[in-house]
Amino acid sequence: MSRIAIIGDAVSVAGFRPLGIAVFPVGTPEDARAVWPGVLTDGYEAIFVTEPVYAVLAAAIAEVADRPLPAVTVIPGAGSAGGIGGAKLERAIERALGTKMPVRDEE
Amino acid sequence: MAVMRVSPNRMELLKLRRRAETARRGHKLLKDKLDELLKEFMARIAENRRLRQSVESELFSAYGLLAISRAEAGAPVVAQALLAGEPGNLFLASQRNVMSVRVPVFSAAAVPAIQGYSYATTPALLDGALETLGEVVVSMLELAEREKTIELLAAEIESTRRRVNALEYVLIPQLEGGIREIRMKLDESERSERTRLMKVKEMLQDQ
Repeated sequence: MSRIAIIGDAVSVAGFRPLGIAVFPVGTPEDARAVWPGVLTDGYEAIFVTEPVYAVLAAAIAEVADRPLPAVTVIPGAGSAGGIGGAKLERAIERALGTKMPVRDEE
Repeated sequence: MAVMRVSPNRMELLKLRRRAETARRGHKLLKDKLDELLKEFMARIAENRRLRQSVESELFSAYGLLAISRAEAGAPVVAQALLAGEPGNLFLASQRNVMSVRVPVFSAAAVPAIQGYSYATTPALLDGALETLGEVVVSMLELAEREKTIELLAAEIESTRRRVNALEYVLIPQLEGGIREIRMKLDESERSERTRLMKVKEMLQDQ
């Protein structure tokens, strides 16, 4: 069986603890640098990071990007605007296709 | 483009022809792989965009409910309530092969029943917020699997495209250039040999 970890500010991540997720609250996004190696060595298969934390850890996360596990996913934090996870996906699309792909609203 | 330096003999010609044939076969295989990877990639993008939008909006609504709970009961009470529970094994992670790319597969998350805090001291909204979070965790896990697959496919597509282009625009033209050059030189030497023989024959006839 596999485990989930979440790194972010205390307000954003606190609600996940009762759901069985390992939460790693950080005072400031920079504190996540100290937390990250421990989370990696603990062997969590799915790791969620809030947007401000991703901004700090982007280089460290890129180092494990070519491994199938762990899957590191960006989620919006309680105070953030959202959209960084979407932008990360757009970069992957640009990398694959060599160009941006316009969003087509099918609804 | 750099021209190949080869000795113009039949042995070298055969060697280059064999290499060009292998390169063409490899190019075709890699091109087929690239097409299939792109098909897999494109099929995932639209669904992933929809899923991300829904996860983000559900998360924002759960954060909103948690904020109201904090305002109603006080941050320390809610913080203490949220200390309930402990990290556990929620899902099964495995891997599968998509066109030689190992991608993760996450089975559905089994979110534990939320309990362990006092219903008397916490507002009912907190239950609603945690229920919403419980539902969104399942979608978050699906999103994690999909996004990781997309990233891994994107990296493989990029490297496969480079290989295809290197074969198509560098190696194959170089080998074909080398073959052409050897053939021209061999033809040339054959022509000069023939001319020489004709000349010798003519001289012998004159005597």
